[in-house]
Amino acid sequence: MSQIMNPPSSSRIKVRPAAEREGRKDYISIRDFGFWYGEKKALDAISLDIPERQVVAFIGPSGCGKSTLLRNLNRMNDLVDGIRHEGDITINGRSIYDPGLEVISLRRRVGMVFQKSNPFPKSIFENVVYALRVVGVRDRAVLEEACETSLRKAALWDEVKDRLNDSALGLSGGQMQRLCIARAIANRPEILLMDEPCSALDPIATGKIEELIHELKEQFTIVIVTHSMQQAARVSDRTAFFYLGKQIEYDTTEKIFMNPSQAQTEAYISGRFG
Amino acid sequence: METSDKKPSLAAAPEARFTVSPMTLATDRWMGRLIRFGGVGVVLAVFGMLAFLIFQVFPLFTGAKVEPVGSLSVPAGAVAFGEDEYGDLPYVVLADGKVIFQRAKDGSKVLEWAPALAARRVTAVRSYPRSGLVFLGLSDGAVQELRVVYRSTFDAAGKRTVEPVVTALEPLQVGKPGLPCVEVWNAKGAQARLILVRQEEAGRPLLTAVRLTERKGLGGKAKVTVSAPFVVAADAASVDKVLLPSTAESLIVIGKSGEVRTYADDGATFSFLQAFTPFKESGDPAVASAGMIFGNVSVVFVSRTGEQQVWSMYPQLQPDGKSLRRWGKIHDGEALAGAGEGVYAAEGNKCYLAVAGGKLQIRNMTTGSLRWEGDAPSGSIRQLAFAGNYDRFTALSADGKLHRWSIVDHHPESSWGAFFGKIWYEGATGPAYTWQSSAGSDEFEAKYSLVPLFYGTVKGPFYALLFALPIALTAAIYVSQFLRPEYRQVVKPVMEIMASLPSVVLGFLAGLWLAPLVDPRLISLFCAVGILAPAALFAGFLWSVLPQPVRRQVKPGMEFLWLLPFLALCAFFAWKSGPAVEAAFFTVKDSASGLPIADFREWWRQTTGATYDSRNSLVVGFVMGFAVIPIVFTIAEDALSNVPNSLVSGSLALGASRWQTVWSVVVPTAISGIVSGVMIGFGRAIGETMIVVMATGNTAVMESNPFSGMRTLSANIAVELPEAASGHTHYRALFLGACCLFLLTFVINTLAEVLRQRLRERYKVV
Repeated sequence: MSQIMNPPSSSRIKVRPAAEREGRKDYISIRDFGFWYGEKKALDAISLDIPERQVVAFIGPSGCGKSTLLRNLNRMNDLVDGIRHEGDITINGRSIYDPGLEVISLRRRVGMVFQKSNPFPKSIFENVVYALRVVGVRDRAVLEEACETSLRKAALWDEVKDRLNDSALGLSGGQMQRLCIARAIANRPEILLMDEPCSALDPIATGKIEELIHELKEQFTIVIVTHSMQQAARVSDRTAFFYLGKQIEYDTTEKIFMNPSQAQTEAYISGRFG
Repeated sequence: METSDKKPSLAAAPEARFTVSPMTLATDRWMGRLIRFGGVGVVLAVFGMLAFLIFQVFPLFTGAKVEPVGSLSVPAGAVAFGEDEYGDLPYVVLADGKVIFQRAKDGSKVLEWAPALAARRVTAVRSYPRSGLVFLGLSDGAVQELRVVYRSTFDAAGKRTVEPVVTALEPLQVGKPGLPCVEVWNAKGAQARLILVRQEEAGRPLLTAVRLTERKGLGGKAKVTVSAPFVVAADAASVDKVLLPSTAESLIVIGKSGEVRTYADDGATFSFLQAFTPFKESGDPAVASAGMIFGNVSVVFVSRTGEQQVWSMYPQLQPDGKSLRRWGKIHDGEALAGAGEGVYAAEGNKCYLAVAGGKLQIRNMTTGSLRWEGDAPSGSIRQLAFAGNYDRFTALSADGKLHRWSIVDHHPESSWGAFFGKIWYEGATGPAYTWQSSAGSDEFEAKYSLVPLFYGTVKGPFYALLFALPIALTAAIYVSQFLRPEYRQVVKPVMEIMASLPSVVLGFLAGLWLAPLVDPRLISLFCAVGILAPAALFAGFLWSVLPQPVRRQVKPGMEFLWLLPFLALCAFFAWKSGPAVEAAFFTVKDSASGLPIADFREWWRQTTGATYDSRNSLVVGFVMGFAVIPIVFTIAEDALSNVPNSLVSGSLALGASRWQTVWSVVVPTAISGIVSGVMIGFGRAIGETMIVVMATGNTAVMESNPFSGMRTLSANIAVELPEAASGHTHYRALFLGACCLFLLTFVINTLAEVLRQRLRERYKVV
């Protein structure tokens, strides 16, 4: 807990080898997972384990189902009509489709950052503490502390600390996305899902977000969907490659990019299709 | 290039590809102009409408236009005057009773008539210019009546010649024989005519009157019976002025001390009614001049310092609890420039001309507004009279001049105060905001206060919104955020069809079907409405405690299928239990039979003392709500649906519930649209006409009581414009109402727009 509350003092990237990291190796476990939008099968027989406090990247061409899988991890697909699934997903051993599990509680545990930054039309402060407010935190001091901690973790504190009460819509694109990250981690979820978080950003803002991911993985398990192979290579410990709703290959990032076992993977990462 | 006239060269081909045809350019230019014309035209049309309304209303706020139309030299000894209907041939009466007719055009004398009185002298003269009657008080207390008639003859060429004829009646002994008359008055009541004379007996005033009863035989000559002279107001210590209303119903005697004593006709003589001193509080209580206002219930008193007071007869609560018509002060007029020298009432309206400090002022008694001010003629005024249709007045001055003025004053009763202020009208028990534009009698004074109409204009929409907003807004939230899209596609067009329901149909239903239906079952209705919200919440609670597997059977957004029958059942039982509730809580003693009855209407009347109308604000609110709900719903629903899905997803992904998402993200983001929906609904309700015309009873009352009716500005125009004479004050007052309505909706719409812009600025989405 104290580890979460205290932001890292240094912004320098420290990368430890994935194998050295402690925590459960099958923290998120996806087993034979299939998923339909109406009659269309979007995912087929996906099975992969995501270890705790690692960054896992989902890559693949458009329409391969990587976003669908990501959105199933916090059941955001529930909002869509006519969906169906088979197989199971467990987090820390418990199925997310357990009828006794409130989906709201699941989403409080699994935070999400969207492709397009979506700050609420409220002040920066209100945006960051939104997750705490919906939980029912009323104590101003607690909210302020959480706001500062989250903004510091999202490397945004120094830029916005003097205008917390200004509208969040006055920020730049990169700042808005970092605000959304701060918002997502304010209630200290265990898992952070990122759906192409940098696709709408310029290279400098992208760099900042990537730096941030490196720091956040100290505390969170991060699943990131990206179109950018370089990004996946830079930020992730493990990478899954999907093609046409199927899981083609899942291994350490190093292995996927240096020595893929599947020809399709190699073709994709070398830019021959996708 | 040289061969281009024969066949297009290859070089010309790409050029043709890039050239813009003149047709395209012309179309573009002309469409631009057309659109500009349309846009400017709309703005101009709105301003044109406003300009037209202001143009119609403007004359209400202009004063009277009074111009002198010349003066006529008459013999210096003239003490009274009279004139014909056109003012062409006025006459003056000299102190000796001689009547001299002169042409107004050139002053030439037409006729000189002298009374044949033998030994008697003329000691008092009174002329009633509008009726052509002249009364000569004689030295022995008798009164001779002269009748002036203008006889018109037309010669062969069609030219009109007017010839005055004076008929003298036999002198009539009115006063105490032997004493000369000092003043003489005449008035024609409903039953009898009254001739009153004032004499001086040993320094004390003596007022004596006779009644002349005229009985017309069948086709024969009228037979006049003269009563024996009787003394009136014998208890008055001094007599300075006497006011005799033209109806001869009462008598007002003003003493030298400033005490006013009033007497009422009791059939035989005049009995004392009331005494008061208008200027008791001021330094000089004497009444310098006084005049009875048209209608014979109000008197204007002017003091020597120019103070004005208006006293009138109105019902007053007496110590014994009875309400009797007594004199009381109703207005303190604006002070005049000097001591009052005369107060002369106009005929046909409540205006009067006051002479004071060398100025003539025409004022309206009711509103106190100054219609005109001008310089008084040099000589003191002996008599002044308005023409019957208030287009002219004539004054006889002591220096032998007959001055004539023309008046153009179409709206003497209008002023800002009359339309927007509290006015104490004659006969009312206090100042009030009253709209009452017409009545049966000619002496009726139209009352044009727009304030009760404003009140109704706000009250109706208030109740409508009270009913409509919760329903429309919750429905909009439910449909846009919770209902399944398939149902949404049905609900929305249905609501839009509801908006196109003609309001006259709604008004018809409200007035003829709903009001009589609701009237006896009001408590049932209250019960049914009151139970719905708790029942809905209870249904939600039941749903939440149902086990998860049961709830999973119902798709999200289909929960209403279980709610609807539950609500219908609750409403049905509440409706059925209405009479029992009424019996339990609203039993009162029936005023007629004395038996206890369970009747909310009677209970309301007896408990609050307020009225209960069958066509009341609740019925109007309910039905007008129906007209407003679709508008508010449609606009609010659009605004809520337009909230980007990314915000909803963002909120849900942060662990917010559906309701938390709606309440803290969707509603604030859509708030500008919701506000404009509410304001447009309010604007619709304010402008709504047919429903209020048909369902309110149209009483212009100012009560917040939900069980009374109202009259709105728009309903007022719809109801009264067909009966208002074009150009009349009534007509223009209706236009003033239209102008106010225009401004009201303009202000509301502007406020709504400003508010919307601010909210949009605050909650704008990238």
